[in-house]
Amino acid sequence: MTGVLTIAARELRSYFRLPVGWIVAALYLSLTGAVFALSTLEPGAPATLGGFFAGAASLLAVVAPAISMRLFSEEARSGTLETLMTSPASDLTVVLGKYLGAAGCLAVILAPTAVYIALLYRLAEPAPDPGPILAGYLGLALVGLLYLGVGTLASACTSSQTLAFLVAFLVIVGHLLLTDEGAARLPQPYAGWLAATSISVRAREFGAGIIDTAHVGFFGAWTLWTLAAAALVQQSRRWR
Amino acid sequence: MFHTRYCAQFMIEARSLWKSYGSIRALRGVSFAIETGRVAGLLGPNGAGKSSTLRILTGFRPPDAGSAAVQGIDLAEHPRRARRAIGYLPESAPLYDEMSVRGFLHYRSRLFGVGFRARRAAVAQAIGKAQLDRVAHRRIGKLSKGFRQRVGLAAALVHEPPVLILDEPTNGLDPSQVRELRNLIRDLASDTGKSGARTVLISSHVLSEIERVCDDVVMLVSGQVRAVGSPADLIARAARVVGAPYTLELRTGQIGGPSPAAAVQETLERLGKVAGVTGIDWTPAAGDPAWSRLTVRVAPDAGDLRESLAHAAQPAPIRELAREPVGLEELFVHLADEAECADADTGPNAGADGGAP
Repeated sequence: MTGVLTIAARELRSYFRLPVGWIVAALYLSLTGAVFALSTLEPGAPATLGGFFAGAASLLAVVAPAISMRLFSEEARSGTLETLMTSPASDLTVVLGKYLGAAGCLAVILAPTAVYIALLYRLAEPAPDPGPILAGYLGLALVGLLYLGVGTLASACTSSQTLAFLVAFLVIVGHLLLTDEGAARLPQPYAGWLAATSISVRAREFGAGIIDTAHVGFFGAWTLWTLAAAALVQQSRRWR
Repeated sequence: MFHTRYCAQFMIEARSLWKSYGSIRALRGVSFAIETGRVAGLLGPNGAGKSSTLRILTGFRPPDAGSAAVQGIDLAEHPRRARRAIGYLPESAPLYDEMSVRGFLHYRSRLFGVGFRARRAAVAQAIGKAQLDRVAHRRIGKLSKGFRQRVGLAAALVHEPPVLILDEPTNGLDPSQVRELRNLIRDLASDTGKSGARTVLISSHVLSEIERVCDDVVMLVSGQVRAVGSPADLIARAARVVGAPYTLELRTGQIGGPSPAAAVQETLERLGKVAGVTGIDWTPAAGDPAWSRLTVRVAPDAGDLRESLAHAAQPAPIRELAREPVGLEELFVHLADEAECADADTGPNAGADGGAP
């Protein structure tokens, strides 16, 4: 566990020692701020953060790959991966540490959006129900963690950050388009099958205040799968 | 010294290591062992298999066949325990440019399991040993190549490993940095850490570096160990198998005599007839075209040919005639030529295929 935390702490600090962390954070916060202003601060709009959660989850398709793209590819390019792989840390420890660091970065980026909650409570009369807000944040976190898992796997596969970003982004967007558009256009039972694997359908339910353990399990299982695959890819480096 | 059997007295052991990358055989049954407290050099030309050997010994890559052990711990059976015993500086010292020197060393010490209480002292000690006090607070990305190498060394040392493995540590450094780093490596080798005497393995293709720094040498050519021993042993062996060359500087541009080219040709022919001479290299003497500088290569058992050569060179006046000492370079070139001939005769992988795993 010490190894995981050591690697995670270094990873998290490095995001904010480099411009990339600040640029991604600024971009995400300004765009989600615009979404919040347009969906919630409009006169007559409902006193919920549903619109914000939907927009913020969509933006994570860009932000999560941008955070995760450098996890392994940059280390492979610069050669520091060799020093990491000759340390006593196991390959799984390295993957979990790096992933945890990226998750920490996402948490730091999401934290300032709490201002929107404060604003909502100040402006809305009566005060909004906290349940959907908490569920919405849980959904946002689960979507972000899954996307980071996809990004971690993509980064483990290549020594090019750009390629890692593009692969993760295309996989996420491709999956979103396939499951949403496919579910809308295909007949049953295919539409049902696709809807069952849809990330956005499940994320919307969290935004509406519904915490379904099946949805939590779905995100948890797929995130673990991506991390296990990344650990295997990392292990395979030793044989390549 | 080197032995090929497994023994507790050895700190580093490679036993019949084989490694291929696709169709290229990088290692072909590499075996050697290094005793505790020795500084050993892994010497070989580019592509000889030095980095592949080090990567197996550091647990970065497994061998296709064979095994390796550090401090008696088998790298395949207990990779994490074995890696904890090693401080490794890869070629070109890859570092995190955005971190400070001190921050990086703290990170490395945590990664290698140095406890919270001991960490501050361990980092301070590594900074002191690598003479990084002046730059400890600076960002690694802002440091010169020489200091970066030192940071890499400090990172390899911070957990006080009993074994240090350094891959081409002086690559890309200027001559004064090379001298400083060599002295540092010698100091580190003579320094006994908490785990006792430190064993150092250095890979290099710079012969003078190996000769000056190492107690023992492993010569690797075409993925095979071709010679092992102390530099003195190997130089003695070189004298036996190579034959010490002679240097002759003589006047070939006589006034009123034949043209310089014809005079050179005549002299070379006379010297070439001396028994034991195997070849002659000619270059004009620096700054004076009337004088020629010859390197006369001789058979190993030719004996002392100075008198015969001086006699054969007449009537050209001689201003220098010396027998050059045989060094590692001569043995190195001889072994490389031998390996090249063997590969040319049988194909690059043929020698390996017979005993391939």
